[in-house]
Amino acid sequence: MINSSPRSHLYRLGILLAVFFVVAAVARQWATPASWNYRDWYRTDALRDTELLPLAYGGNESCNGCHEKAGQTMRAREHKGLSCESCHGALADHVRADKKFAAAKVDPSRGQCLNCHAEDINKPRGFPLFSKEGAIGKFVPKHKESSETGRCLKCHDPHDPKT
Amino acid sequence: MELPHDALVNYVFPNNTRVWWSAMIVIYPYITGLIAGAFMVSTFYHVFKIKEFKPIANFSLVASLCFAFFAGVPLLVHLTQPQRAWEIYATPHFTSAMSIFGYVYTGYLLLLMLEIWIIYRPYFIRMANRTKGIMRPIWYALTLGVTTYHPESENVDRKVTGFLAGLGIPWACLLHGYVGFVFGSVKAIRWWATPLQPIIFLSSAVVSGMAMILVMYSFIMWRRREPYDFPMIRKLMISLWIAFVLDWALEMLDLVHVYYRRDIDWEEIGPLIRGPLFWTYVVGQIAITSFIPTILLGYTVLSRAWGKKLLYLANVCSFLLLAQVLLMRFNVVIGGQLISKSGRGFVDYEWDFLGKEGLFTMMAIFAAPFVVYYIISRFLPIFDGDMAERPGKASGHA
Amino acid sequence: MENMLPNTSDGSVDGDHDSRREFLKHLLSGTATATVLMVFGPGVSKVSASHNQPRQGYNIQTEHEFAYVIDVNRCIGCGNCVRACARENAVPPGVFRTWVERYVVTNDGHVYVESPDGGREGFEEINAELRKAAKFSLTVPKMCNQCMDPPCVQVCPVGARFRTPEGFILVDNDHCLGCAYCVQACPYGATFINPVKKVSDKCTWCYHRVKKGKLPACVTVCPNKARLFGDLKDPESEVTKIFKEDKWMILKPAMDTVPYCFYVGLPREVI
Repeated sequence: MINSSPRSHLYRLGILLAVFFVVAAVARQWATPASWNYRDWYRTDALRDTELLPLAYGGNESCNGCHEKAGQTMRAREHKGLSCESCHGALADHVRADKKFAAAKVDPSRGQCLNCHAEDINKPRGFPLFSKEGAIGKFVPKHKESSETGRCLKCHDPHDPKT
Repeated sequence: MELPHDALVNYVFPNNTRVWWSAMIVIYPYITGLIAGAFMVSTFYHVFKIKEFKPIANFSLVASLCFAFFAGVPLLVHLTQPQRAWEIYATPHFTSAMSIFGYVYTGYLLLLMLEIWIIYRPYFIRMANRTKGIMRPIWYALTLGVTTYHPESENVDRKVTGFLAGLGIPWACLLHGYVGFVFGSVKAIRWWATPLQPIIFLSSAVVSGMAMILVMYSFIMWRRREPYDFPMIRKLMISLWIAFVLDWALEMLDLVHVYYRRDIDWEEIGPLIRGPLFWTYVVGQIAITSFIPTILLGYTVLSRAWGKKLLYLANVCSFLLLAQVLLMRFNVVIGGQLISKSGRGFVDYEWDFLGKEGLFTMMAIFAAPFVVYYIISRFLPIFDGDMAERPGKASGHA
Repeated sequence: MENMLPNTSDGSVDGDHDSRREFLKHLLSGTATATVLMVFGPGVSKVSASHNQPRQGYNIQTEHEFAYVIDVNRCIGCGNCVRACARENAVPPGVFRTWVERYVVTNDGHVYVESPDGGREGFEEINAELRKAAKFSLTVPKMCNQCMDPPCVQVCPVGARFRTPEGFILVDNDHCLGCAYCVQACPYGATFINPVKKVSDKCTWCYHRVKKGKLPACVTVCPNKARLFGDLKDPESEVTKIFKEDKWMILKPAMDTVPYCFYVGLPREVI
C-alpha cells in the first residue's frame, strides 16, 4: 500500500460509499412490492386482497332462494323495506358451503320490536312508535297498556305486522 | 370541565377514546432535537470558528452521534408492525412529511460518522500502529488501510470537516424541521396546525441541545476532576439565552395569535389549555420552565457571574430548559390529541408506566445514548482534543 | 331492496334453487366472479383522481364515481348498521367503522351528544329533564367520508393507504406500518388502529361487497333507507338524484377534503 496522496483515505471512503449506495439501491428495488403502482403509490395487489374478503351479509335476494314464502309475505306487507338479516343475523352465520349449519334465530336479547318502535324525541314520525305511556300518533290507538318486549308477538307476526 | 361548542357533556368520537401517539412520540422529537442541537454547538467551532467552543466541539459531535443512534428506536417501538419498517426506504410516500425520515435520518447518521471519522483519523492511525492483539484489526479497519498520516492530509481533512459541518447545518434543520412539519401540517388538529411549528421545533431543538451539552460537560468535568472552562460556559450561556428567548417568543407568538384571532381554533384551544393542559402547559411549560430560566439566564449573562456561581446558575437553567423542551414536546404531541375530533370533548390521557410505550421504555431509550457515550469515551479521547487534532507520526509517540 | 347498481343481479326471486345455492356458496366464499355480478371490472379507468394531481371537484373523469348519502331525518337510531358493519368486517369491540351519534339540542343552545358503544345497541330513552329542555333531537350516522382529497392518504408515509379510481379509500393490510399518522390526520375520527389486526382500519364502503354487486352491509340492513349508496355516473341511482338536487351537506366543510358522503337534513350543530 503506497500512501502517496493526501487524499487516499477519501478515495477509499468513496469506493466504500459507492458500494453502500449500490447495495442500498438494489435492496430497495428488491424490497418494493412487484405490483407497485408508481403513479398513485400503492400496491395494486391490495385491491384484489380487499376484493376477496368473504361476505357475511347476502341481502334479501339471497334469502328468497330458500325462503320464498316468507319473502313474498314480507315484500307485500308493511315491513317490505326491512332486511331479513337485520333481525335474523348474517347469512354467513346460517349457511355455509351450500348448507344450513345453524338456525337463523332472532336474537331475543335485543329490544326486538322496540329496537325500532320505541318512541323517543330523536325518532322520525311516520311509523308506529310506542312509549311507556302507550301508542303515539294515529297508529293503533287501542294500545293503551304499555308495550313491553315479547308481548307484541302475541298478536303480531313480524313478517306481516298488521293484525 | 369547560367544553367547546356548547357541549353539555364530554363527548369524544368512539374511535377517539385513547391517545394513539403517546410517550414514544414525545421522546422521538426530543431526541432528534438533541441531535440537531448538539450538532449546532459543534458547528460553532467547526464552521463559525468561535474559538471558545473548540474544547467542546468534538464532544458535542460525539454526543450528537450518540443521540442519533437512538432517534429511530421510539418510532420502532411505537409501530404496530415494526418488522415492516424497511418500507420507509422501499416505498416512501413523499406527500407525507414522515416519509423522508428514513433517508434524512440515515444520511444524517452517515454524515455524523464521517465527520467524526475524519476528525479522529490521526488517532485511528496511531492506534493501528501501536496496538497489538484483538483490537488491532478494528483500529486498522478504521484507517481504511491508510496507516500513515500524509503531511498534507491535515489541510485536506480540515476542508472536508468544514464541508461536512456546513452541510450538516441545513441537514440538521431538515432532520428536525420536518418533525415540526409532521405536526404542523395536520389540519384536523387545531393545536398542531401552524406553519410556525417547524421553526418552533428547530429553535427548541437548539435550546435543548445546548442545555444538554452544558449538563453533560459539567458532569464529565466533575467526574474527571478537571477544571471547568468558564469562558466557554459563559459564551454557551449567552448563546442559550438568545436561542431560548427566540424560541419562547415564537411559542408565545403562536399562542397569542390564536388567542387574538378568536376564531374556531381558540374555541377549542382555550378550553384545552385552561383545562386538561393547564398544569403541564400553563404552569409547567410557561410559568416554571420558561419564565424562570429566562430571568435566571438574563441575570447570569448580565451579572457577569463567574466560577461556582456561574456553574450552578448554568446548570440550573440548563436543567429547567431541558424540562421545558420535554414539556413542550409533551404538550404538543399529547395536547393535540386531547381535543377530540368531535370538537365537544377531551380525551383522557392515561399515563402508562410499564407498557410497551410506557414511561419505563421511554426512560430506557433516553438512557441508552448516555451508555453509548460512556462506551465510546473509553475508546476515543473525546476531551483530550490535542490527541485528535495534532497529526501523529506514523511511528507514534508517547 | 332497490337495485341501484348497474349490471347487478336483481333481487327477483325466480330462478331455480340450485343455481341460487351455487351462487350463495360462491358468494360467501368470496369467489363469485360471474361477469353479470361485476359492478366494475378490475380494469383501471384511464384517468383517476389522486392526491398528486390537481383536484377536479365532484366531476372526476372516471367510469364510476361512487357516493354515499345519509338522510338524518330518516335515521331511527336502531344500530342495525353498526352491528352489521362489525359482523361483515370483523370490527372488534371498542372501535368503529361506522357509528351513530344522538344529538339533543336544547332550547338554551346547548348540545348534548352521545354514542354509547357507537350506538351499536341503539339508544336508551332520553331522560325526562333533557326531554323537557330539548328543542330537537336526532341521530346521525358517521363513517369514513371517502374524501376525494383524503388527508389520511396524504400523510401515509409508505403508501399503505390509497384511493382507488372509483373513489374507495382502502388500507393495504400487508403494507401498513401501524404508525397511526392517518388516525391523526382524519378530521372525522373515522380511522383507528385495529386492535386485532394491528394495522390501520376504517370503512371501505364494503369494497368486497360492491365488487360483487352487493350494497355495503350498513345500507343492506338499514330499515328506513337512511343510508343510500350508488354511482353518480348512473343517472337512475338515488344518490345521483339527491346529488343533483343539491340540498346535501358535508361534514366539516372547512377541512376541504371533498367528501363523498353526502348528508341530507344535517343540522348545523353536528360536527
